[in-house]
Amino acid sequence: MRQKFHNLKKVKVRQTWNKYNLYNLSRMTTPNASSRTFFQQKWGAKSLTRAYHGEQIREGQWTRMFRSHMPSVVPMDHQYLAQHDGSEQAAGRGSGLDLPPGEKKRALPKTPYMHMVYHPTERRLDTAIWRALFASSTRQARQFVVHGFVKVNGKKMIYPGYLLNPGDMFSVEPERVLWGTGHMKGHKLPEDSERRQSGQNQRADESDDVEKKGDDKSATQLQEASPSESEPVKDPKAALKALRKQAEAILENPKQGRTLSAKGKQELRAFKRQVKTTISRPNASTERAIAQNLESTFEQLKATLLSEKPASTTTTAASDTSTEPETLSPKDEYQLRVALQRAYENPRDPSKPYATPWRPREYMSAFAFIPRYLEVNQNICSAVYLRHPVARPGLAEVPTPFHTETSQLAFTWYLRRR
Amino acid sequence: MWAWLNGPGRVFHQPLPQSTNYLGAYDKSGRLIRGTTRARKSDEDKSAQAKDGEEDDDALTELEKKPQENNEDENSLPPETLEDLRPFPLNREFRSQPVLSVELRDAIYNRVVRDGLSVKAVSAEFRVEMARVGAVVRLKAVEEQWIKENKRLATPYQRAVLDMLPRTPYVPEKPVVHESINDLPVHQATRQQIFYPASESRAFTREDAGKVFDATLLPADARIPHPELIEQEKWRLAGMPKAEREAMQAELDRKAAQRKAELERRRKHKEDTEFKTVPGRRWDFKFQDINANAVGQDERSLKGVGWRYGFPHEDRKRGQIKIPRNVN
Repeated sequence: MRQKFHNLKKVKVRQTWNKYNLYNLSRMTTPNASSRTFFQQKWGAKSLTRAYHGEQIREGQWTRMFRSHMPSVVPMDHQYLAQHDGSEQAAGRGSGLDLPPGEKKRALPKTPYMHMVYHPTERRLDTAIWRALFASSTRQARQFVVHGFVKVNGKKMIYPGYLLNPGDMFSVEPERVLWGTGHMKGHKLPEDSERRQSGQNQRADESDDVEKKGDDKSATQLQEASPSESEPVKDPKAALKALRKQAEAILENPKQGRTLSAKGKQELRAFKRQVKTTISRPNASTERAIAQNLESTFEQLKATLLSEKPASTTTTAASDTSTEPETLSPKDEYQLRVALQRAYENPRDPSKPYATPWRPREYMSAFAFIPRYLEVNQNICSAVYLRHPVARPGLAEVPTPFHTETSQLAFTWYLRRR
Repeated sequence: MWAWLNGPGRVFHQPLPQSTNYLGAYDKSGRLIRGTTRARKSDEDKSAQAKDGEEDDDALTELEKKPQENNEDENSLPPETLEDLRPFPLNREFRSQPVLSVELRDAIYNRVVRDGLSVKAVSAEFRVEMARVGAVVRLKAVEEQWIKENKRLATPYQRAVLDMLPRTPYVPEKPVVHESINDLPVHQATRQQIFYPASESRAFTREDAGKVFDATLLPADARIPHPELIEQEKWRLAGMPKAEREAMQAELDRKAAQRKAELERRRKHKEDTEFKTVPGRRWDFKFQDINANAVGQDERSLKGVGWRYGFPHEDRKRGQIKIPRNVN
């Protein structure tokens, strides 16, 4: 691999989810054309765009792949086609009758052909894997292919340059996908909720004064509504809510002790133990046994929660809880079940090469989109290459970070008339 | 770089819950544009403009999504505008397009597999391309297989990824338009401009225009993936009652299925006569008659069999593809 892949001096955007790359993407500008010759402009554009599109492909190989013809489609309206035979467009002097004054002809937006320069590279297996969000970079996707973790139509494919045909299904080993797109092991946990809250406050500050009051109110309401962390838990319902919420949090971070009452702590510990014993069971014989375990955990948890209820009612002396039947409400039960199910699906497992429970890689969301020429099923880490990417009015399907001008200059370079 | 990553770029560190999180949705200082009041106002203006019929199909789906998301939670962020779906600030012509939601995928699979509808009919019903319908069914079938085999699915990955992407929701009664299903590929012959004089009295139709470009070029009516929708619309315009239209369509579908079965039968028959199968101990041997003249004039045709004496191989030449071209 080249030495300065993520260069901060010469801004070159690459096909990765790297944070350096995100920074470069955020400050990218169209190169200045006024002080440069046409050749220089073309050269610069070619070098910029090639750093992104198929950087792993040799230049000679790419020039052979390049096609000046760019596929495009026009969406047709079947109602229009049924009503008209097209003769109205040739009426009058040959370009349709004049419209009455004040009416405008509806024109489709222009088709951005110039963004389609690199459409042949999108056919490559490694690029398609990256576009389907199965790897964090094209280089990594390439490695997955070379190391034999990728199948095309159910057969192992070890050539990253394999050009997918419409209808080809490619699948990557799920473990590899989870490793490639997951949070890295050993990285510290993000203080997610804090950041989000501060972000919301910041947003509220930006808005107008009238709005601000409302926002502040809502913020305080939110704070009241959310289970307070510093106070000891008194209300059994709140305890239940907190417990449900913490089901995943505990599994994530055992050290992060929330300040609860001694009893609450005990309950949490018991809950943690139960869930852990149920979930972290790599040698469990069958899925059914695990499911049964999960069910028993659920029942035990329910029992402990219910046993806590009368104890707390004595402290608060609330009359409404005594009237309630001695069961969890169906909604609570359902939510508890969902939380347990999620924790079961996404267990803590130190043997994995990525941080568990699995969560997406940092900065992934800024790069996460799936182009329309792929249909992806994330559950089985497989995707189908439906068709070649096309340009349509107002939209080019080849994802390219460059301005039309830059793409056009690169296209002109490869036309070989320089 | 670190100043940016810890300042304005901090918002990209973790995904926005239940929303996309692209560069285009934030301003220079890292504030979410659609979160501010000004953006909300201009958003309302935009949606009012869009109602006039300026936007395309995607915008329509966007509009249809709006009331739903608002109902879910009042505290949540306003739904994304087209501006928010731009991952590349410089490229205005690219945006992240919605993907099928899990419910919609399930609905498509059920319509095809459980109800036994044709791919074409399901595609027209949900406004999803035919190739995509096929792919959804194929992928879902594999998923079902995995569930049956107790193979572990990448469910946390699916949940996280779908949360970051715009999705087309599933509305049982009124399906949301996912994409344009009648895409007409631009034919190479129509890329030129032709000056073709025709008399003013002549009704110069699409068909005639096609013939001017190329004698064999079919009109758009025949080249789009769903020509049957045009027929149905014509029947409707002619005032045919709905029951009759449906009956006619069913009859046409039946005929098409018959034709397909006949073609399949012929193909099978041809294969049976062409190949002579001799069952072996482990494998069946298939024998086929070969014509030595199939190599063609330049003796390089791919149909030819065997290596011809004195002809050098081309595989060391530049640009020869030596990896598989297809996998069956």
